[in-house]
Order: sequence, then C-alpha cells, then structure tokens
Amino acid sequence: TSRFRRAKQEPNVNIPGVSRAQGVASAGELRALAESCKERDSGRRQVDAALPLDILTYEEKTLSAILRICSSGLVKLWSSLTLLGSYKGKKCAFRVIQVSPFLLALSGNSRELVLD
Amino acid sequence: MATLRRLREVPRHLLVCEKSNFGHDKSRHRHLVETHYHNYRVSFLIPECGILSKELKNLVMETGPYYFVKNLPLHELITHEFINTFVKKGSCYALTYHTNIDEDNTVALLPNGKLILSLDKDTYEETGLQGRPSQYSGRKIMKFSAEESRMMSYFSSYGIQERQPRVALSTASELQCPVLRSGELGGAPGAACSAPELLDWLGAVFSNAQLNNEPNNFVSTYCCPQPSTVVAKAYLCTITGFIVPEKIRLLLEQLCRYFDEPKLAPWVTLSVQGFADSPVSWRENEHGFRKGGEHLYNFVIFNNQDYWLQMAVGANDDCPP
Repeated sequence: TSRFRRAKQEPNVNIPGVSRAQGVASAGELRALAESCKERDSGRRQVDAALPLDILTYEEKTLSAILRICSSGLVKLWSSLTLLGSYKGKKCAFRVIQVSPFLLALSGNSRELVLD
Repeated sequence: MATLRRLREVPRHLLVCEKSNFGHDKSRHRHLVETHYHNYRVSFLIPECGILSKELKNLVMETGPYYFVKNLPLHELITHEFINTFVKKGSCYALTYHTNIDEDNTVALLPNGKLILSLDKDTYEETGLQGRPSQYSGRKIMKFSAEESRMMSYFSSYGIQERQPRVALSTASELQCPVLRSGELGGAPGAACSAPELLDWLGAVFSNAQLNNEPNNFVSTYCCPQPSTVVAKAYLCTITGFIVPEKIRLLLEQLCRYFDEPKLAPWVTLSVQGFADSPVSWRENEHGFRKGGEHLYNFVIFNNQDYWLQMAVGANDDCPP
C-alpha cells in the first residue's frame, strides 16, 4: 500500500448568474463578462488583470456555470462577480453557490436537498 | 495588513491518495467506507458499458429508504425506548436537516450510539453540558436512516415521512477516458495519468464539462488528461439522498465482482460525497464548513483487484484517516 498527500492549488467556483433581462446568452459571453469584471476591479491595465479563467460548464436553462481559476485568483474573481450589478446596461446579480478545489464536489450540493 | 492577507488566502484542503488490493488482509477499504457515516451522493462510472447488470441495478434501486421527521425534540433520541429499539441494534444514523454546520446548531447520531451536538456558544451554555470547543470556530428537523421499518410507527406522532433516494442513470458516448496504471498512483509521463488528474476528470464528466478543448480556446482550456483513450460508451449512475455505509459497501463489492468475467473496461470508479453539514467526516473526526463543506472519497477499481482510494477534505477538517 502506498499513499501520498497533496494540497491542491486550483479551486473551482460554481457560480450561477441571475439576470432579469436577456441573460448571458452563451459561455463565451460569460467569459467576456468575467474578464471585464476582473479588469474593472483590479484598476490595472488589461494585461496586468489577466488571470487564466475557464468556463467549464454553462447551462442557459438554470443560468448557472462552473468556473475554474487558480487559487491566487479566487478572491479577486469572487469579489468581482459579487460586485457586478449590471451587464450591457441591464441589471444583473451573481450568486456563488459552491466553491471547492475538487471539481467532483461541485457535481452535487447537499445543501440543495429538499425534503419539505 | 495581517487580516487583509488572511482574507486573501485560499483555505487549505487535502487530498490523500492511496493504493492497495482488495485481497490484502490489511486493506482498509471496508473500514473507511463503514466509518464515513453521512453520505449524500454516491456515483459510479463504468467505461465500455451500455447496460447495467441485474445485480447492480437491484442494488442501486435498494439504497433506501430513509426517513424524514419534523419538529422532533432532541430528548426523544435519548429515551430508553429509542435506544433499545433502534440504537442498540446498530446501524442507526441521523442528521439534522437544513442546518448549516457553520451557522446553526447541528445534531448527528452515529451508528456506535454516540450523539454529536455541534452547538453555538449560547446554546452550549444553556444546555450546561460538558464539551470541547470546536476545533475550527431544539426542536429540530431530522433525517434518519435505520435498518428498521418500525421507524414509521415509532415516530408516527411527529409526521414521519419515508423517502427514497433519487437515482439518475445515463450513458455517455465517445467518452475520452484517462489511461491509468494501477501501480502508478502518481502517473507516468506519457504512459499513464495520475490519481489527482483522474479525480479532476471524474468531476468534469459528472458536471458535463467539455473534455476536449484546445489550449487556446477562449471559453475553456480544460481537456482530458493525457494519455487517454476514447470509449464507445460509458455507464454513469448517481444516487442522492441519505445513504448508509452498508449499502455503499454492497455496491463496492458488486463493482469488484464486475471483473469476475472478462470485461473491456480496465477500471471502474465509485465516488461518495458526504453531507456538507455533517459534524463528522470519518469516525468522529470533526468536519466543518469554511468556504466549502466537501468531504468525499473515490475508489478506482482495477480489473486485477488493485484499487486506488482518494479521500478529499476542506479547510475545517482533520486529515482523512
């Protein structure tokens, strides 16, 4: 038997986007939106604000997505999305439902179990 | 400055990977499955499989029932009658429903008869009980599981409801799967993928993420770890509810028996996620919720009875056993 232990460095963020208007139409739009958040909130030039960000999934029906970012960018991304109030002139809000370094943990959320 | 630095930090998490063989005397697989008490989601993936065997299908459909009791005063759990009827028989599990471990009072009943109370400061002082502070910082609704159909009649005055776990079955076509070697937990460059890569990939599959993005793709650069092969079809099953370790052990044993006859699949996986708001992870190890409440484990079962076991926990958790 052998085992090793590793502290992983890549948290994944499960983020639903709620938009009262048209909504974000595609994963590409969501990606562009997330990038613009980071640029705006970092107060720095476009190049400095760049952090590798992946939109792993995007579901238009539920307006929810799974985003992946390196651990050092988590707080910046989370706070940027939280503070985002409008997109293309329309009001919107983002709510972070789950955050985990393990993608498998994001495929189920026990807090969403409804019994009554 | 120190506070700001602390707020910017990402909480630590741990992934423990180990390998062994089901035939080894000292294999810990059974103990680790049986001491992970409060399980919310169990899923398995079988490559090169389009139809589930009758035995597996039956096991999947028989993971319940569990019971949901509203407004149960906690003193009902420490009456002699309850203890004699259910607790002493063993295999009685309970957990408060809709209580967040980081905010609310939470109660859990373990199969060894221990009642764990995770209380906020005021409630703790009111109870006057002797306890120890949490390592990391009522009238309750509870969900139960017990090997006893008398549960319904025992709590009939409290509006008990029987529930069945939800089962989702699907097949995936043309699925890219990582190539693994049972003896190489850390992978081998160009020849096999590592255990953490496998765990990531499994998460991507069960989240329906795209597995074949180009490195310069604008939306996502995630792709299946290499080396990989494409399987024509794979069977995915997910069970959610309040699932007891005994049922998971039966599933694990049946999945091991999958390879009793020659199969195309080189390995199958079984993943289990615990309730984010359970006060314990394995045995009586304290579990908490910082930015996430994950405590999960994953078996990779190889066709030669070797297995990998990965156990993952978040920041407010002891290291897995």
